[in-house]
Amino acid sequence: MSATTNVPPPSEAPSGPPPLRLLVVDDEAIVRESLGSWFRQDGHQVDVAENAREALHLAARGPHDIAFLDIKMPGMDGLDLQARLQASDPHLTIIIMTAYASVDSAVRAMKAGAYDYLVKPFDPDELSVLVERAREHRSLRDENLRLKASLDALGAPPPLVGSSAAMRHVLDMIASVAVSDATVLVTGESGTGKELVARAIHAASSRRYNPLVVVNCGALPEGILESELFGHEAGAFTGARGRHKGKFEAAEGGTVFLDEIGDVSLHVQVELLRVLEDKLVTRLGGSQPVRVDFRVVAATNKDLREEVKAGRFREDLYWRLNVFNIELPPLRERPEDVALLAEHFLKRFAEAMSRRPLKLAADALQALQAYSWPGNVRELQNAIERGVVVAQGGVLRTSDLPLTVTTGPARPAQGSLADMEKVHIQGVLEAQGWNITRAARVLDVDRVTLYNKIRKYGLQRPDEP
Amino acid sequence: MSREAPGRLRLVVLAFPAQVEADALAQRLSRRLALPCQLDRRAAPPELATLPGRPQWDARALLDWLAAQAGERELVLGLTGWDIGLPIFSHVFGLAQDGGQAAVVSLARLDPAFDGLPPDVERWLGRTVGVALHELGHLGGLRHCLQPECLMRFAGTVEKADARGQAFCPTCHDALPHWLRPVGLAAL
Repeated sequence: MSATTNVPPPSEAPSGPPPLRLLVVDDEAIVRESLGSWFRQDGHQVDVAENAREALHLAARGPHDIAFLDIKMPGMDGLDLQARLQASDPHLTIIIMTAYASVDSAVRAMKAGAYDYLVKPFDPDELSVLVERAREHRSLRDENLRLKASLDALGAPPPLVGSSAAMRHVLDMIASVAVSDATVLVTGESGTGKELVARAIHAASSRRYNPLVVVNCGALPEGILESELFGHEAGAFTGARGRHKGKFEAAEGGTVFLDEIGDVSLHVQVELLRVLEDKLVTRLGGSQPVRVDFRVVAATNKDLREEVKAGRFREDLYWRLNVFNIELPPLRERPEDVALLAEHFLKRFAEAMSRRPLKLAADALQALQAYSWPGNVRELQNAIERGVVVAQGGVLRTSDLPLTVTTGPARPAQGSLADMEKVHIQGVLEAQGWNITRAARVLDVDRVTLYNKIRKYGLQRPDEP
Repeated sequence: MSREAPGRLRLVVLAFPAQVEADALAQRLSRRLALPCQLDRRAAPPELATLPGRPQWDARALLDWLAAQAGERELVLGLTGWDIGLPIFSHVFGLAQDGGQAAVVSLARLDPAFDGLPPDVERWLGRTVGVALHELGHLGGLRHCLQPECLMRFAGTVEKADARGQAFCPTCHDALPHWLRPVGLAAL
């Protein structure tokens, strides 16, 4: 312990935690000097200020790790200064110094976000311990932020790829609804990416560091689904040996994604409605409801309004789920996204299979764009995955695509007659392995006409440069 | 203060506890120094005030008074049985001018009996020598050290003071001024 009146020659500091940058604000010179000296002896960098104005000036010159603020000062007091400092640097750790008589003010400061307070005069050991505790707190918080950033990067869901107006609208809706806690009903044909939407909503919400629990309601028989969703107590049914927490409890603080919600039986719908309304889960065979904090995103490829009309889906549950509806467009209605999606999957699978980057041949892309994609994005993904497996060299050709794609139903006409003719001829040529005679026979034209069409539309065999 | 090496250490004894022999303390201390030590028994200066509402001397005021007593090339170490504190700190075991000429050590809280333990003069003396060397380290320009068993580690409790032992760690030892390196028994 010492007081400083001279600048000490620095001694070689042993290895240890890095010095802190501290700010001491007190209108009493003896306090500033004593604390300044004490902290400097510990190797910290110390700025001292006589009043709030000086403190704000010093804070503007660079961030501090910890600020020690006297509560009672002429002019702006410590509480107001705390608010100003926190506004400019939310990461600043603030420790309030107060006389015994103004402990109430210190408590107010704590409620406003101060880390701790010291009652003057304080035990130097208490100060030493507090500084180390504050250092550890900052270190843990920084580590926490780094881990969260890593988790954000690792846990980011696969992107919803698409630049079409329809997909941009979907992305806008996801961004809007993610910040709320509203229940979301995602609808769309099979393979359009409903689970991806649920994952994107969860990842963009404040619940992202808590679990996202996926339940495929359509895959489980009624009894098992009930047990899976709500859990069960030991002996609730034959084979229930121990207590089992359900998916809602497992999702505490997070999101439950109920996929294929349209396939849930009326009996389970009643139970689901109760849980969604009360946020209380009673395990099968249990009597004590458990309060659970969760958000629900549900998805279906069925038209739930029709299901309601047909009496297969409860109307009250429908409205409970359909607080916010996101309708995913089928791929055939956004053909401009096919190229983007194909390139995305091509890159992803090439990397996953440790292959060098693959290019998509122009005719292969034409084939992909011409196809109607009844299985939507999932079918496109599978087609590209297969293509990456069988492709030779650095190009994925039409012949590498599944026959269902190259010879399957074409997307309903969206372009000119010439466009459609080009796509059709391309498809037949690919299907016939570019055998002109056989292709001409299929097209019911002579070989010369076919050659003329090939020249006219600039069609090329995949292996031609 | 001039950076010229000090020529002697004056031990200013004020209101010293009757149970401890100042000569014995001076002798122990001098064994750790390469400086001649001189005992200087004084009556408490009348201008020295206690802290408002606290039965303690103001350590800062005491330090300033001691600094005023220091001659050229002389270090002054005050040793007192009075408890000392600062307006901001409830107590301190010692206080020093970093790189300066004056330091002070209070024996009051280093006495095992202060914490209700049986009297133990030997332990009391050992603690006092340790705190005195720590404060002299500050006079020599050393800062606090993080090594658990180094005399320059900050100790806010007697338990921590006991735990840090009586030696400087190698890093601090290398940084010590020559007069703080033990050379055997020095003449009083």
